[in-house]
Amino acid sequence: MEMLHIHCMKLSCATSFYTMITLDNVNKSYGDFKALKNLNLTVKPGEIYCLLGANGAGKTTTINLLLGFITPNTGTISINNINVQKSALKSKQYLAYIPENLMLYPNLTAVENLNYFSGIGGKSFGKKALETFLDDAGLQREAFHKRLSKFSKGMRQKVGIAIALAKDTKVLLLDEPTSGLDPKASNEFGQLLKHLKNKGVAILMATHDIFRAKDVATHIGIMKEGELKYEFETDKISLAALESTYLKIMDYKTLEV
Amino acid sequence: MFKYNFIYEFKRLIRSQWIQVLSILLFAVFSFAVFNGQQKTQKRLEEISSVKEKLKTSEAQMLSVLDSIEQGFQVSVSRWRLPSNPMTIGNKHPRLVEMPPHQWTFISTGQSDMYSHYVKPTVQANDFELSFTEMTSPTQLLFGSFDLTFVIVYLLPLIIIAFGFNILSYERESGALKLLASQPVSLTFWVFQKLVLRFLWLSVIVILTLYLIFSGNGINIFKEMATFFSLIGVICAYMLFWFALAFLVNIFGMNSAKNALVLIGLWILFVLLVPTVINQVGNTLYPMPSRTIMVNKMRSIKANATKKQDEILDNYLRDHPEFAINDSTQNRTFWHRYMASQALIDKALKPVVSNYNKQLRKQQNWLDKLKWLSPSMRVKAALNNTAGTSTTDYENFRNQALAFSEQWRKHFIPFLYNNTPFSSKDYEHIPTYQYRQKAHSNMATIGILFAIALLMFAIGLLASKNLKYKMNLTIS
Repeated sequence: MEMLHIHCMKLSCATSFYTMITLDNVNKSYGDFKALKNLNLTVKPGEIYCLLGANGAGKTTTINLLLGFITPNTGTISINNINVQKSALKSKQYLAYIPENLMLYPNLTAVENLNYFSGIGGKSFGKKALETFLDDAGLQREAFHKRLSKFSKGMRQKVGIAIALAKDTKVLLLDEPTSGLDPKASNEFGQLLKHLKNKGVAILMATHDIFRAKDVATHIGIMKEGELKYEFETDKISLAALESTYLKIMDYKTLEV
Repeated sequence: MFKYNFIYEFKRLIRSQWIQVLSILLFAVFSFAVFNGQQKTQKRLEEISSVKEKLKTSEAQMLSVLDSIEQGFQVSVSRWRLPSNPMTIGNKHPRLVEMPPHQWTFISTGQSDMYSHYVKPTVQANDFELSFTEMTSPTQLLFGSFDLTFVIVYLLPLIIIAFGFNILSYERESGALKLLASQPVSLTFWVFQKLVLRFLWLSVIVILTLYLIFSGNGINIFKEMATFFSLIGVICAYMLFWFALAFLVNIFGMNSAKNALVLIGLWILFVLLVPTVINQVGNTLYPMPSRTIMVNKMRSIKANATKKQDEILDNYLRDHPEFAINDSTQNRTFWHRYMASQALIDKALKPVVSNYNKQLRKQQNWLDKLKWLSPSMRVKAALNNTAGTSTTDYENFRNQALAFSEQWRKHFIPFLYNNTPFSSKDYEHIPTYQYRQKAHSNMATIGILFAIALLMFAIGLLASKNLKYKMNLTIS
């Protein structure tokens, strides 16, 4: 078995650097169910952190905590050093978010949805700029002025990406963003993430897709039952090792062929 | 945020055809309600006009007979109908005491289908007063005619509920909420803006629709500006109250079905339940005396007075020496005895009628005090005031009619006891009646309703930090 270069980084080691996303000893319970157990996680500018894990592992709970949708039982969460629990609205100025099943207003066009969400977020753009964002997100030009009621899931997702791009934030939170995208679009999305990473955006992405994670991430964390079991620097682990570690952590049995 | 909400809320409402459907619906319902109201007003005018016509015909005949008598002709009229007898004029040719509908009466039937809007007081007893004691349940009229007031008080809140029950829940159920909530905006403030915008759009539709319908019905809005704005003020304040309720319900973050259910429950509470309970408690605290007993008492008092008419007449003449003449050629007739006894009958009847009216007034005062528990009751009262069909208006008319009746009787008494024949010249000087409309102001209703609505908005905005919709955001 290949020797794994596993770097179990404690958050305390990373706090000396400037971090955009910080979760410090975060616990979250729903009644008796512990959704997150002592989660420590940091993402710095120019990093793409992929959270891998099965359903119910705590990935979406982590993102919801960062968005301020829910509050932790204990621990501290901050975005760009702004405490999310204390200043949720202020922290949202620095982040953009793409949920798994993005639904927008079906009786508005792609441009209108983009303009609306950018507008209420405090950013105002002209028609050309709006079209550029949609173009960058990979939406075909003929769909720009069509109502979203006729859009596929992948097309809606691209509008969501355009909304995130338009927000031009320092932090990007993604919850299964490539679900529903075709392989080409998925690949384009990966390229887009790399571009944003190079621009210094800190990206946290929850995903099931190990291959996409290996392709785009700088760091990967594997979660199970609310705990962050392992953290890797992506360039120090091969895809095969990542896959086998993941399956091992998840207690999955591979099929003998 | 407001600019974008304003633009895209309008686009969404137009594209989902809400505004079009709402405009057509309101136009149809308001038109039908105004048509109904106009029909009732027209019927009332026709009734008054028909009575006036009959009185005019009878007056013309009477004046012709009087003229013949004055010229010394023999006339074939019974002694009881001779117009030279002042009591014939006082009894058979009364003035019409009317409460004519005014230009805005069509907006609310109010108490007009319960009370009489014209009476013909004669020198005989004030039996017409019974026409003013029909009502035993002041709020039963809440379930009355399909007029503009009915549409505003009952149907408009339902339209507002349909228009504003799913402001945040739609976003959650459609999946747009998470993206929305990730923006640096307060969701409560966002809901507030959306509802205020919907309130503005609905107000514009209501004002335009009413303007068109009123203009189409011959009302010159520019001449009737004060009444029109007072009416619009009441309607807008009432709508804002319902939008504020919708705001409080929406920010709790329940699903659309629960929101709708809670709002319908509040509609039942404020529009049906509270008025009914207040009315029932009013009936229990101040039960109305039996109207049958009152009528029986009146009859018995009159019968007793009739038996003692000679004695009463002597007493009356002792009290009024100016009428006690020593002329043996003159007879003391039925009318002398009747009018002498009338004062005593009135005196004896006063406690009976006033007891009935007092209880009614107590009930009404009770309702007035508690009316604010249900804004719909308050708004209905305000619209009745605008239409001139409120209990206060009919009370005002009743007092005017009673005062005129007294004036009418007093005018004929000197003719009777001085045995002065009635002439055409005297006819020109008999009292006439002109209804004096009571002035109402709806400013208190408008002001207090706006204040309540603003208070509800403020409570919602301040309390929003602890609301549980944040929890519900995680439910996908």
